Amino acid sequence: MSEALAPACAAQRTVTILANEPVAKDTYKITLDDPMLASQITPGQFVMVRAGLGNDPLLGRPFALFDVVRDSTGTPVAVELVYLVLGRGTAELSRKRAGEPLPIWGPLGNGFSGPPVDGGDVGFVAGGIGFTPFLALGKWWRGTASYGAQGQHTGSLVSLARLYYGARSANLFAGLNDFAHAGLDVRTATDDGSLGHHGFVTDLLKADLQAGWRPSKLVGCGPAPMLKVLAGIAHQYQIPCDLSLENHMACGFGACFSCVTPIREPDGTTDLKRVCVEGPVFDSRCVVF
Amino acid sequence: MNVDLSVRLGRLTLNNPVLVASGTFGYVREMTRFLDVSRLGGVIPKTVTAQPRAGNPTPRTVETASGLLNAIGLDNDGIDHFLQHHLPYLRTLGTPIIANIAGENEDQFVSMAAQLAAETGLAAVELNVSCPNVSHGLDMGIDPTAVERLVGRVREACPYPIIAKLTPNVTDIVTIARAAASGGADAVSLVNTFRGMAIDWRKRRPILANDVGGLSGPAIKPLALRMVWEVARALPKCPIIGIGGIWTADDAMEFLVAGASAIQVGTATFADPGASARLLDSLPEKIASLGAGSVREIVGTLRSNRG
Ligand SMILES: Cc1cc2nc3c(=O)[nH]c(=O)nc-3n(C[C@H](O)[C@H](O)[C@H](O)COP(=O)(O)OP(=O)(O)OC[C@H]3O[C@@H](n4cnc5c(N)ncnc54)[C@H](O)[C@@H]3O)c2cc1C
Ligand SMILES: Cc1cc2nc3c(=O)[nH]c(=O)nc-3n(C[C@H](O)[C@H](O)[C@H](O)COP(=O)(O)O)c2cc1C
Repeated sequence: MSEALAPACAAQRTVTILANEPVAKDTYKITLDDPMLASQITPGQFVMVRAGLGNDPLLGRPFALFDVVRDSTGTPVAVELVYLVLGRGTAELSRKRAGEPLPIWGPLGNGFSGPPVDGGDVGFVAGGIGFTPFLALGKWWRGTASYGAQGQHTGSLVSLARLYYGARSANLFAGLNDFAHAGLDVRTATDDGSLGHHGFVTDLLKADLQAGWRPSKLVGCGPAPMLKVLAGIAHQYQIPCDLSLENHMACGFGACFSCVTPIREPDGTTDLKRVCVEGPVFDSRCVVF
Repeated sequence: MNVDLSVRLGRLTLNNPVLVASGTFGYVREMTRFLDVSRLGGVIPKTVTAQPRAGNPTPRTVETASGLLNAIGLDNDGIDHFLQHHLPYLRTLGTPIIANIAGENEDQFVSMAAQLAAETGLAAVELNVSCPNVSHGLDMGIDPTAVERLVGRVREACPYPIIAKLTPNVTDIVTIARAAASGGADAVSLVNTFRGMAIDWRKRRPILANDVGGLSGPAIKPLALRMVWEVARALPKCPIIGIGGIWTADDAMEFLVAGASAIQVGTATFADPGASARLLDSLPEKIASLGAGSVREIVGTLRSNRG
């Protein structure tokens, strides 16, 4: 009965799937018909998606914003997510077809802050499916798209956004054309040497820094070991760095206290913070690995 | 549809029987973007303890078949923080607030209850004598003598209606409920989570960092219903708040006819943040479909098939 679902309830709805297509091995892009979410969500924020029809699988699964789809007038109309099939929830999601309903809630989380005030270059470091937030972030910081209510850009935009993108193997890369089209400078690495550098993606960043490149900001998303190396590099070169964490969550909105992670406070003490509401984006200096 | 939804649980009167369970609704701040909480019968914020507690390491939750296993470990900032930081906000919500407390021993429960007694704007106090993830709470909740004495002492220390939230991890729930009632509890909440575990056999490890946790969600509804029914039959004068896997108005109706005067929505909120408000919307028509004009007319009207 909808009078109860009026504005206060707006953060949860059932939306229609517009498309759900494979984009790489075990990787799908799903497009959700949701003008409200599309006009609110900003890069680094996420949505919870419940793929089960009944109560199994029970909980929603968190997915970062990949991009917002706009109509010919530039009005945000839909939201794209890209997901890797891992377990039951994502397997169920991959079987959904266009036209089917999907319960979602969001936008959730803090999202990234604006481009670095002094402009300059930025470096994004993505491991595996952790590449998903960087298309929208790159467009925003390069000034080619705006998200949410942020409207006009303030300060200078970044001149060069370089994405270091690592995956286990070449067939897992997704969105490479989108990144190129958005003007990001993409460097790839694979564990098996099937594409780009044979080794860690952070090796590529290290080499560029050793050669004298000085980005004004680094941003990372991916497996914890990669984030830890990135945080070390950022510390060594004294470059501000934000990390987007992917802790296991049950609710996504701060009620369950599942996704807590130790965060160093300015006074040196550590406190458990909920990745879903106080994150998922944290300053790398505060993240305790 | 003119259905009277109001219910009485001892000294506690609620506009409707739909509450939200402790530990599944945060401190309510998180929830206002999903539903109009002032419509609920009441809200029960996350358990507070005498001192701040960091809780358990992660992973703290894992999904199981139609259920959720958790070992949060009562992560909270302590009662002083609750009184200063959360209660002033909770008072502004326009819905009855039922504070939920857990002590490591009887004295801690009593002194926390005394602290709450000095505060205005609470509707009742729920005693979490049942958290499976903190050994003391469980030990107390399985001993009828301890439960009776605890409830009695808390009642002396605190004028608010007292609800005892019981653990299902006992051989005979009726014995514990009877003890709570003799101690002077206005109502008993049935039930907290069932102890369980999830295993990754490839790693030969439990999945939860705490090894074991408490099971909740749709999977436990039949178990909770059985306990509510048993207590309702044995103690017809003891008001019961039913908890366990409640998501829809149909779930709530099952608990009401089994003998609960009110219900709490728990894990369903994680999977469907607005579930409690939607359940409330559908409740009047379900009650009317039985030819009743009030919740009270249907509570405990279940008839046994065995005569
Ligand atoms: C803020 C945030 C943003 C995310 N964005 C994306 C995204 O854009 N695209 C994407 O594909 N995935 C993303 N994830 C991870 C995604 O939520 C999980 O992969 C998904 O929940 C797995 O669900 P499942 O039912 O398939 O797997 P399950 O059956 O639940 O688990 C399968 C395996 O995945 C692991 N897993 C479960 N939850 C997570 C998690 N939160 N993070 C990492 N591993 C997990 C389990 O430990 C298990 O090994 C994000 C996670 C967070 C917290
Ligand atoms: C993540 C989580 C945290 C919980 N925390 C508390 C708590 O702090 N205090 C409490 O009394 N019960 C707590 N519970 C138990 C619930 O209030 C409820 O009794 C139980 O989950 C069964 O109901 P459900 O199946 O509807 O979830 C918690 C349950 C979950 C799932």
